[in-house]
Amino acid sequence: MMGRKPRPPIERDGDGYRFNLDREERSLVHRLMSEMRALLQEPDADSADGQAIDPRLKRIFPTAYHQAGDQELDQEYQRLMREEILTSRLKGLDAVDEFMNAASGDRANATEAQMMAFLQALNGVRLVLGTMLDVDEQHDVGDVPDDHPNAGEYNLYDFLSWLLDWSVRAVQG
Amino acid sequence: MSIAPTPVVVDRPDQDETVAPDIPWIVLVWNDPINLMSYVTFVFQKLFGYSIEKATELMLDVHEKGRAVVSNGTREKAELDVFRLHEHGLWATMQRDDA
Repeated sequence: MMGRKPRPPIERDGDGYRFNLDREERSLVHRLMSEMRALLQEPDADSADGQAIDPRLKRIFPTAYHQAGDQELDQEYQRLMREEILTSRLKGLDAVDEFMNAASGDRANATEAQMMAFLQALNGVRLVLGTMLDVDEQHDVGDVPDDHPNAGEYNLYDFLSWLLDWSVRAVQG
Repeated sequence: MSIAPTPVVVDRPDQDETVAPDIPWIVLVWNDPINLMSYVTFVFQKLFGYSIEKATELMLDVHEKGRAVVSNGTREKAELDVFRLHEHGLWATMQRDDA
């Protein structure tokens, strides 16, 4: 991205993490996460075997038992664990809200736990957007021409990839 | 004089996994075009406590071979691992270890 300051977008800062995103970038990420919350809370017309029908939700609540004879076990898994995954995702989004709402100017600070929640939530948003765009293994940053009908979404997807990659570096560093 | 009842010997299988490993299920992670390689490595480190080297090796296995076995154990343990992987957005499934 042209003119981006050399400072990483997210870096370790003492016991926690500092986000060096400007207000606009931060509110964009925060808005996408609110959309994720809305999607998770949307009633999905489940199929008879308890599997999600919406491909975006199917990616968030995948099959656990993939073998042919294990459908019953998978139905049981979906019945019990889907709610758990939903609760966990919503709790993570709450934790992200907490530090995003406390941010001011170009700075936001997250605790270790909030950062873990941020990583999961950011990855969740990428999964949903990537599923909608049906991205394949060949997709590379910037390879979608500006006049592509989904150029905006691809740019957003690449931005989220860049941010997630830096987030991982921050927690591993 | 009566005959003492024959003591019943209860054949209780050893529950200690270190003595009698009960490993009938494996957990697989499948390659997908969305998850970042760096993120998958991070998840393996976080969930299974693997070193970055081990986690990277496993991630490359998933990426190059299309899937990798990341853990094994009882059905309950495998299911918990699958759940935690799903919680983190990875494409994980489980099956009986027929090998």
